[in-house]
Amino acid sequence: MSARKLAAGLGACAVLLAAAGCGGSAPSGAAGVAAGRDRGPVKIGALHPVSGANAVDGQQMRRGARMAVEAINAAGGIRSLGGRKVELATGDTQGKAEVGQSEAQRLISAGAVGLVGTYQSAVSTNVAVVAERNRVPFVMDVTASDAIFAHGYRYAFRVQPGSAAIAGAAARYLKEVSEQAGKPVRKVAFLHEQTDFGSGAAEAFTRAAEKLGIEVGPNISYDALTVSDLTAQVTQVKASGADVLAVAGYYRDSLLAAKAIAAVKPALNAVWGVSNGAYDQPKFVADAGPVAERIFSTNYHFDAKDPQTARLRADYQRRYGAPMRTGAVLAYDAVQVIAQAVERAGGTDAEKVRDAIAASKVEPLTVGTGPISFAPNGDNETALPVLMQVQGGEVRQVYPPDKAESKPNYSVTWRS
Amino acid sequence: MTGITLTGRPGAAGRPVKAPPLRPQNRQLAVLAVLLAVAIPLPLVLPPAQGAVAVRILIFVLMAIGWNVMSGFGGMFSFGHAAFFGLGAYTSAYLLVEHDVSPWIGMLAGMAVAAAVAVVIGYFAFRYKLQGAYFALATFAFAEMLRLIVTTTDFTNKAVGFTVPLIQGSSFWKIQFAADSPAYFWIALGLAGLAAAASILFLHSRTGRYVTAIRDDELAAASLGTPVLRYKLVTVALSAAITAVAGAFYTQYYLFVNPDLAFGASVSIQAIATVVIGGIGTIWGPVVGAIILGALSDVTATLLRTPPDFLNFLQGRSGLDVALYAVLLILIVRLLPKGIVGTIAERWRR
Amino acid sequence: MSNIGTNAQSPPAPAVRRRPLLGGDGTGPVLKRAAVTGGLVAVAIAVALLKSGSGLVVWQSVVTGLLMGGLYGLIAMGLTLIFGVLDIVNFAHGALLAIAMFIAFGVVRGTGVHPYLALLVAVPALFLVGAVVHRGLLSGAGGGSLENQLLITLGLSLLLENGLLMFFGAEPKTVALPGDFQLSLFGAVVSGARLYAFIGALLVGAVLFWLLRRTRFGTAIRAVAANGQGAELVGVNVRRVHTLTFGIGTACAGAAAVLAAPLVTVTPTLGEQFNITAFVVVVLGGMGNVAGALVGGLLIGLVEQLTTIYMDGQSSLLGVFAVFVIVLFLRPQGLFGRRA
Repeated sequence: MSARKLAAGLGACAVLLAAAGCGGSAPSGAAGVAAGRDRGPVKIGALHPVSGANAVDGQQMRRGARMAVEAINAAGGIRSLGGRKVELATGDTQGKAEVGQSEAQRLISAGAVGLVGTYQSAVSTNVAVVAERNRVPFVMDVTASDAIFAHGYRYAFRVQPGSAAIAGAAARYLKEVSEQAGKPVRKVAFLHEQTDFGSGAAEAFTRAAEKLGIEVGPNISYDALTVSDLTAQVTQVKASGADVLAVAGYYRDSLLAAKAIAAVKPALNAVWGVSNGAYDQPKFVADAGPVAERIFSTNYHFDAKDPQTARLRADYQRRYGAPMRTGAVLAYDAVQVIAQAVERAGGTDAEKVRDAIAASKVEPLTVGTGPISFAPNGDNETALPVLMQVQGGEVRQVYPPDKAESKPNYSVTWRS
Repeated sequence: MTGITLTGRPGAAGRPVKAPPLRPQNRQLAVLAVLLAVAIPLPLVLPPAQGAVAVRILIFVLMAIGWNVMSGFGGMFSFGHAAFFGLGAYTSAYLLVEHDVSPWIGMLAGMAVAAAVAVVIGYFAFRYKLQGAYFALATFAFAEMLRLIVTTTDFTNKAVGFTVPLIQGSSFWKIQFAADSPAYFWIALGLAGLAAAASILFLHSRTGRYVTAIRDDELAAASLGTPVLRYKLVTVALSAAITAVAGAFYTQYYLFVNPDLAFGASVSIQAIATVVIGGIGTIWGPVVGAIILGALSDVTATLLRTPPDFLNFLQGRSGLDVALYAVLLILIVRLLPKGIVGTIAERWRR
Repeated sequence: MSNIGTNAQSPPAPAVRRRPLLGGDGTGPVLKRAAVTGGLVAVAIAVALLKSGSGLVVWQSVVTGLLMGGLYGLIAMGLTLIFGVLDIVNFAHGALLAIAMFIAFGVVRGTGVHPYLALLVAVPALFLVGAVVHRGLLSGAGGGSLENQLLITLGLSLLLENGLLMFFGAEPKTVALPGDFQLSLFGAVVSGARLYAFIGALLVGAVLFWLLRRTRFGTAIRAVAANGQGAELVGVNVRRVHTLTFGIGTACAGAAAVLAAPLVTVTPTLGEQFNITAFVVVVLGGMGNVAGALVGGLLIGLVEQLTTIYMDGQSSLLGVFAVFVIVLFLRPQGLFGRRA
C-alpha cells in the first residue's frame, strides 16, 4: 500500500536527518557536561550574529573575544588551575532569537563555563533565559535593552551601559556642553525609530532632560524598516523651533536623517545622537561625507585614550585589515570578566564562577569610571557613556573632559 | 494515501460528491498512530542538539497542517498565516505574563481568538469575492497590519514582546521543563498528532467533503445549494485554530515572543513552503515538508560551522539555508507540482 | 505579428476578460473617478493641515510624498505590465530591483562613472534576466496555475535575496550622486536626486505608453493581453510576446533601481519594502493598468506621508495597508480599472 511506501520514505528521511546531525553537532549528552568542564581547556562560549544582516559586527565581536582568549593563554592561561588553557567555543545566532537559543544550549552542552554575546537585544533576551535555566553565567557585551534586567535573573550580566544610562548621560552632557558653549539648550526635538530601541532611548532621555529643566518636544517616530525619506519629519522639527535635535536610530535611517537635516537646515545649535547606530561609526563619516561633520553622539565607546586599548586595536587592524569597533572591544572585556572569575573561583563550578563574576573588579578597555563591577541586577555600575563628535572627518571623544581627545564644537555646519 | 489532491479528480464537478468508504480514514488514522508510536522514543535516542531540531520540526508540522487545511483542502491560498500564528502566540503569552493563566488555557484562548479573526477576515474576503492573487494579497495585508499594530501598542508591550517568566522546577500545567527535557518533544508530538488527526477527520467529514468539492468547482457546488460561505468559514476557522496552537507552543518552548517572530512575513512563507514541498492538499505532505525544511537549516548551519575545504569560501556568509530551500521550492513547483507526497501517491496509484 | 490591430480592438469572446492596459476605459467615468479621488486627496490634505497646524510641514509632506510616489509608480509599472499581459503575480519584482541596485553599485564602484550611466548596463541586464526567468521558470507546463507562479516567483525572490546576501554580505552600501543639490519649492526642500528620479519615472512612463500605443509590438502586447488565443490565431507569437513583456517589466525595475540608488542604502533585502508598496500600487491603479500605476504610485506616496501626520508613532505602512484593504474590498478592479 501507499502507506507502507510513505512509512519507508519517512524512515529514510529520519535516517538521513540523524546521520546529518551526528556528522556535525557535538553529540555530548547532558551527563557529559560536568565532566567536560573539568578536563581540557576551560571553554567560554561566544554567541554572535556572524551571518545575517549584522554579520560584520558579529564577526568583529567574535574576533574580539578570540583575541581576549589568545591574550589570556599567552599570559599563561588560568594560573589558579595550574595554567589550564582557555578555549573559545563559538556559536552563530544568525541574528535570530530562536537560533541564538539553540546555539546557547549547544555551547552549554559542550561544557562552556560562561557565555558572552549577543549584539541584539531580542537574541540576548532568549539566551539569558537559556543561561538562567542551565545556571550558567551570561555576560552580555552589546545589548541595549534594559528589560532583561527586570526579571531578577541571577546569571545575567552586562558590560555595556544600558539604554537608559546612555540616554541619561546624553541629557546631562547636553546641558553641560551647551552651557559651556554659552548657548544653553532650551528645547530638544527627538526623532527616533519606533521599536523599543529608539522609543526606549527617547523615553529615558525625556525623563532625564525634564529633571534638568530641558523641554523635550516634539517627539517624532518612524518605522526604520520601511522609511525612505525623513525630510517631512525634519521639517516638523524646523517648524517646532527646537534648538537641538536628538536622533536615536539604526544605521540606515540615521543616515537618512542626517541627509534630511542637511537638506532642511533647521535652526539648530546641535544634532545629538543618543545610542545612535550610525553617528559614531567611521563608516558613517565615509558614507555621509560633509553631512556628517559636527554631529554629536552619546554612546558606549572603546577608551581611545587608554594605551592598552590602542595596542589592541592596532593589533586587530594589522590582523584583520579593518578598524576594531567598540562591540569587539566589549566582547574582549566580557571574555576577560569570565576568565578572571574562573581564575578567582579556582574552578569551573558554575555557581562559584557566577559569584566570582558578581564580585568582579576587571579593568575594562571600554570607557568606564573604574573597574567593571556589577550591580545586584547584573548591570555594570562603572560603565560610562561618552560624548563623541565628527570633527574633520573623524569620530573623536569630546566629553567628559578626562576622556576627551578634543574639545566639543557646539554648533552645526550650516549656521556658524 | 489520501486520494485527494489540489487539482481534483476529473468528473468530480457537477455531480454530488459521493462519500468515500470509511476505510481510507481509518487507514490514515492507523498510519498516524504508528508514526506517533515510532516517534515517541526519539528524544531518548537523539543527542540534545537534535532534540531541539525535532521540536522545531514539530512546530513546523503544526503550522503546515494548519495552512494545508485552508489552502490545500479548501483551495483558499493564504499568504498571511502569520496572523493566526501570532495571535496564538500573543494571546497565550499575554494571559500567562499579565494574568498568570496556564498556557494550556492560553492556547485554547489563542485558538478561539485566531478562529474569530479568521472568520472576520474570511467573511469580508468571501463577501467581496476575492480570489486567487487578490485573496492572497488581502491575507498578507491583514497579517502585516496586525504586526504593525502589535509593534506600536502598549497593551502588547510594543516591539519588546513578552518574555515568559521562569518557574522553579518543571510543571506540566505551565508547560515548562528543564531545557533539554524530552517532555517538550512529547507535548509537541501530542499536539501535532491531534492536529493531524483533526485534519484527517476534517477531510473525511461532511464539511471537508463539501469544501473540497467547492474548491474543485465552486459554481457547481453553489448551484446545488451548498452553503458555500458557511463551509468555507468553518474551514478557515479550523485552519487558524491549528496554526494558533503552533504559535502558543512556540512561545512556551522559546519562552519569548516579539512582533517579528510572531507576525513576520517569514512565518507565512515558512508555512507555505513546507506544505508546497511536501504536497499541497495531501494529509502527509505537511509532515514530510516539515522534516525536510526543519533538517535543512540545521544541516547547512552545521556544514557552515566547520565547512569542508571546498565550501570554505562560504564561511561567515549567510543565506545558504534559505537559498537552498528556495531552490528546492522552485524545483518542486516546476518538476513535482504536487509536492513530494502528492507525486509519490500519484505514481503509486498508476 | 501583422494585421492584428483590428482584432485587438474588437471585444473578444465573452468569457475572456479584457484589460485596459493603458487605462483606455472611456474618458467619462475615468474623469469622474479622477475627480472623486482628487476630492478625497484634497480632504485628506486639509485634515492633515488641521492635525499638524503647520502649513510648511504638510506642504513638505505632500512634495516628498509625490516625489517618492513617482518612484513607486515606476516600480509598479513593470509589475502591472507583467500582471496585465501574463497574469503573473511577480513576487520577485523587489528582488530584481535589488539585483539592479547592486549592478548600479558595482558599475559606479568599478568604473567611477556617473550613477545614471549605470542605466545603460542595468536596464538591458534586467531585461535579459527577466526574459531568462520567464523562459526558464515561468513559461510552459509547471508554471501554469496562479499558485505555482506565485510560489516560483516567491522562491526566486528568496533565492536572489539570499544569493546577494551570500556574495555581497549585509553591510549597507551607498551610491553617491555627484553634484547633488537642494532646491526650495515654496519652502519645501527638494533634493536633486529625488527630482531626477521623479522626472525619470515620468519619462519611462511616457516611453512605455508610447511603446504600447504607437508601435506594432505594443499592439501585439495589447492583443495578447486582451485575448491570447485570438492573438495566436491571427499570427502573434504569444510565447515570445510574453517573454519580451516580462523582460520589459523587469527592465522597468532596472530603471527604477538606478534612479533610486542614490536615495537609499543598498542592501540585499531592500527589495521587500518596495515590493509590498508596489503591489498596493498595482491593485490601486488596477492590475494591468500602466497609467493607473503611475497615479496609484503618487497616491500611495501621499498616503505614506500623511499617515505619519495622522497617526503619530505609527508606521507609514499601516496607512498604506488600510487603503489597500479598502480598495481590495470596494474596488478590486482598482481606481481606474473597470469591473471584469
